[in-house]
Amino acid sequence: MVDRFCIIEPKRRVFLECVVLQEMRVSRSLEVWKMGTINYLDALRLQEQLVSNRKAHKIPDTLLSLQHPPTYTLGKRRTDHNLLIPESDLKKMGAELHYTQRGGDITFHGPHQAILYPIISLRDIGLGARNYVEKLELTMIELASLYGVKACAGQAGETGVWVGERKIGAIGVRISFGITSHGLAFNIDPDLNYFKHIVPCGIANKEVTSLRKETDLVLPAEEVVHEQLISCFARQFGYSNLLWKENGLIS
Amino acid sequence: MALRTWASSTANAFRISHASKSHPFPAFCLSRCFSTVLDGLKYASSHEWVKHEGAVATIGITDHAQDHLGEVVFVELPEAGGSISQGGSFGAVESVKATSDVNSPISGEIVEVNTKLTESPGLINSKPYEDGWMIKVKPSNTSELEAMMGPKEYTKFCEEEDASH
Repeated sequence: MVDRFCIIEPKRRVFLECVVLQEMRVSRSLEVWKMGTINYLDALRLQEQLVSNRKAHKIPDTLLSLQHPPTYTLGKRRTDHNLLIPESDLKKMGAELHYTQRGGDITFHGPHQAILYPIISLRDIGLGARNYVEKLELTMIELASLYGVKACAGQAGETGVWVGERKIGAIGVRISFGITSHGLAFNIDPDLNYFKHIVPCGIANKEVTSLRKETDLVLPAEEVVHEQLISCFARQFGYSNLLWKENGLIS
Repeated sequence: MALRTWASSTANAFRISHASKSHPFPAFCLSRCFSTVLDGLKYASSHEWVKHEGAVATIGITDHAQDHLGEVVFVELPEAGGSISQGGSFGAVESVKATSDVNSPISGEIVEVNTKLTESPGLINSKPYEDGWMIKVKPSNTSELEAMMGPKEYTKFCEEEDASH
C-alpha cells in the first residue's frame, strides 16, 4: 500500500509530496465473546441483536465462541426430507429442532463441537460471500493441521471441511446488509451417533468425523481448542486486536 | 511491498481479460473492471441494478455481485402485489451455504417476480442482467432512481472497492 503525506515547507510554502511504501496491514479489532454452552434460540436472538448493532456501527466486529446442547437445525431451504426420524423422536432423545434463515442444509450441533458465530461487516473488509466462506473453511483447516490432521475444503457444492471423504466441519451463514451471522461448527469430539438421524448437510453416503477420531495426538482441554479456533479465525481474517469478553465483562 | 502491489495489479489485469472472455457482451457495455457493467442501467452501492422502462423498473443483482457470491443454488422471492421500500430486503439468494439478503434500491409496488429463478437459480450467475432479473416494480418515487449511480460511477465504485482490500 502506498502512503502519501504532505510537508509544508514554511519559508517557501511548497507542498512536498512524500511517497512511503507501507506494509499492507490494517489494524482491525475483534470482540470475542466466550459463551460456554448456550441454547440455540438464545444464541439466535443474541445474534439478531448484534447484527442490528453492527449495522448501526454501535459495536465492532464480534465473534461468538460457544457450543449448543443437542440441537438439529435446518436452513432457509427447509430441507426437512433430510431428517430421517420424526420430530417427536428428537424430543424424546432430548434434542431440539429449529428452522433458520441461514444457508446450508440440515445439521446437528451438540456438546464437544466448537461453534463460531462471526458477526462481522463483510463490506468493511471487502469480502463477498464466496471469499468469506472460503476463509471459514481455511480457519477450520488450519485448526485441524495443528493436530496433524490434513483437512481440505469440499468439492464444488460441498462447502465444508473434509478429511478424505469424512466431514469434520460444517458451515451455514446468513448475510444481511453485508453483516454475517451463524457461521461454522467444528467437531472436536461430539457424539457422532446424533448424525445418524439426518442426511448431514444433505450429502448422502458421506461420513461425519471428529478431531478426536482423526488425530493421533492427545487432545488438550476443550477450552484450549476453542481458543485455538478463535486464533485461527483471527489470523485468517486479519484481526490484530482481540478484545476478550467473558461473562459480560471485557477483559 | 512494492513487488506485492505490482504482483496483485498484474493478477487483476489477468482477471479483467478473463472476465471479458467469459462474458461476451455487445459493444455498449463497459468492461474495465473485473466484471461487466451495462450501459443504460442504474446501480446501487449494494450491487443491485435497476432498468427503468416506462412505468416499470426491473431489478436484479450485478455481475460483480454474482461473482462474489459464487454459484447460486436457491432464490427466495416475494409475492407480486406486495410493496417494498428503498433499502428494504425483498428476497435472498443462497450460494456456498450462505444466504444473502437482496435489498431494493427503490420503493414501489412489486408487479412481477421472475418465477424462472425457482427452477433455474443459476440464471443469476449466467445472465445477471437478462434472464437473471429478480423483480419488477412500479416505482413510487422516481427521485430515488435519479440518485443511483450510472455505469461509469458504478464501475469506478467496484474498482475502488476491490482495490482497497
